[in-house]
Amino acid sequence: MMKSSVYGLLLLLGLMLPPAADFLESIMITHMHMQMPLLVISGIFMAKFFQNRFTGFFSKWNENGVPGILLFSIIMVYWSLPRTMDEALTLTSVEVFKFISLPFLAGVPLRDSWPKLSSFWKHALIIFFTILFLALGWLYIWSPVQLCNNYLVIEQITLGWGFISTAFAMVVYLIYSYVMDFSKYE
Amino acid sequence: MFPKNKTAFSSLAVLVFGVLLFYIGTDGFQAFTAEKARVNQLMDEKPQFPDVTLEDNNGRTYSFTEFEGKYVFITFLYTSCGTVCPELEVNMSEVYKRIPEEYIGHDIQFLSISFDPKRDTPETLDTYRKAFGSDGETWRMARIPKQQELKSLLDRFGVIVIPDEYGNFAHNSAFYLVNPKGHLVEVMDYTLIEAAAERVTEILESGGKE
Repeated sequence: MMKSSVYGLLLLLGLMLPPAADFLESIMITHMHMQMPLLVISGIFMAKFFQNRFTGFFSKWNENGVPGILLFSIIMVYWSLPRTMDEALTLTSVEVFKFISLPFLAGVPLRDSWPKLSSFWKHALIIFFTILFLALGWLYIWSPVQLCNNYLVIEQITLGWGFISTAFAMVVYLIYSYVMDFSKYE
Repeated sequence: MFPKNKTAFSSLAVLVFGVLLFYIGTDGFQAFTAEKARVNQLMDEKPQFPDVTLEDNNGRTYSFTEFEGKYVFITFLYTSCGTVCPELEVNMSEVYKRIPEEYIGHDIQFLSISFDPKRDTPETLDTYRKAFGSDGETWRMARIPKQQELKSLLDRFGVIVIPDEYGNFAHNSAFYLVNPKGHLVEVMDYTLIEAAAERVTEILESGGKE
């Protein structure tokens, strides 16, 4: 059980190494669609440690999983703002906040909340992110201006298509889950 | 003192945190892009134009104090640029045409500054200026030959220039207005010609009392 937390911590430390961080941040789409999700995943791995340590806290304040998933969503939306991504590159304080907020304020609550959520909330969340990603994709592809000062416009367009493809994958999942009866497999 | 419904309470706490986070992260819901934040910050700080040596389209060299006592309307460009810069300069010429003639040259100077001093020699700049109807006097095009000086200016005015692999530059664009004392007073959207021309005329008419 605790092994996964150690792996999560190692992943986080690995991502914090300057060469790894610089490499992933040098390209816009790997910054947003690789480094940031990996940070969340490191938090998902580490969640067990916090759940064991603060059992009462999680069961009391995140009983139905809604506060946790809300926190997760807020952090994710925050990091999709063009400005935050830009400032992570230019301001150290923002960069530090990225490495703290994504694992601990998004990854950990996601792990704790997801099993507690009813399927209504799960689908609502996926639909919310599908719409968000379509909107962001639209913004990054068809925006007439360069949104991020630290990246080229072509990278901005690549990122936009990354968002659209992710949204497409989520739509496929939603249709699939509508058609299939998962309970047969559980 | 604990509410009955703990999850409702923690959801509320999370929401409050979220509003605070976005409030701080966007300067009170003002700036969602770093570019907007940059412009807002520049307008607050009103940085001084640093002491740099310019070399213009006629090959004349002088320091920026040459324009002391005049407003200076500035854009940053490089002549090999095929995308934004021509548009920027066309828009600049539109603003130039809209400023009442009596101010041109006396109260206001137009200046296009190249951030590519290697390629943009005075000859290149002189050819380039003609394409946009610049007279080379009241609207000059100049480079800053010393890399160090160029960098200090770009840093201070928040102009971000990223070279790409094809010898081009990605850069942010705007109209800049420096007052007669050399302080940056306005950063304007270069796509809004009318608004920029009106603002500049207004400032000139008020005689710099603003």
